[in-house]
Amino acid sequence: MNAWQYLLVLVLCVAVTLPLEIIGGARVYRRPRALLATLVPVAAVFAGWDLIAVHGGDWWFSARYILGLRMAGLPVEEWLFFLVVPVCALLTYEVLGHRTARPRSRAGLRFRADWRARR
Amino acid sequence: MTGTYTIGAACAPAAVVALELAALRTGILRRRRFWVTVAIILAFQVAVDGWLTKLSAPIVHYRPAAISGVRWPWDIPVEDFGFAFAMITLTLALWERALRRERAADTGSAAAAGNSLESSRPGHGARS
Repeated sequence: MNAWQYLLVLVLCVAVTLPLEIIGGARVYRRPRALLATLVPVAAVFAGWDLIAVHGGDWWFSARYILGLRMAGLPVEEWLFFLVVPVCALLTYEVLGHRTARPRSRAGLRFRADWRARR
Repeated sequence: MTGTYTIGAACAPAAVVALELAALRTGILRRRRFWVTVAIILAFQVAVDGWLTKLSAPIVHYRPAAISGVRWPWDIPVEDFGFAFAMITLTLALWERALRRERAADTGSAAAAGNSLESSRPGHGARS
């Protein structure tokens, strides 16, 4: 169970922010092109930094708390970190931009109707 | 004491801000919504990063010479906040740019991309 710790932290981040998309009115996951255009450069820069730091020995990961799967020397959890954290930031930013004058309870309903109509 | 991470964590936010001001120019740094997002994410970072870096059972270890040694709050190396700020800022600036490009493509007008600061999204209410 300990080996799942880092991954569980990330799953928690996704789970806690998912309602922002589903009922909060943020549209992040549903803009895959913009999301990709954002995540690819961010992951390239910051995972690149991470790779350099890890290869240089500036930081490393406890084998106890990770699954042990690695890509280019980085634990998969660390790769996922560079997707999960930016998405959390985007969801927060988008939900803050989705303020409406409607009452909250109805906003969710209308949002879902709106979503269906768009699909 | 300044290690390589200390230097990187100090330079990265400056580099991203410079990139935004000089090249991306989304105007995001002048928006209240951006700073509120940063505050919220950094607050959550304390919980998440606090767990990852706690010295009692660290998931991430740091070479002492790579960091300043200032670890606060809890055992979080302060450098992590520079890293996070830079990453969040780049994320949000690129996102704004991507949305603007999509809107510009949708309306088929270059004006939408130019009229960047407070352009509204169709189907959504006012934003701050």
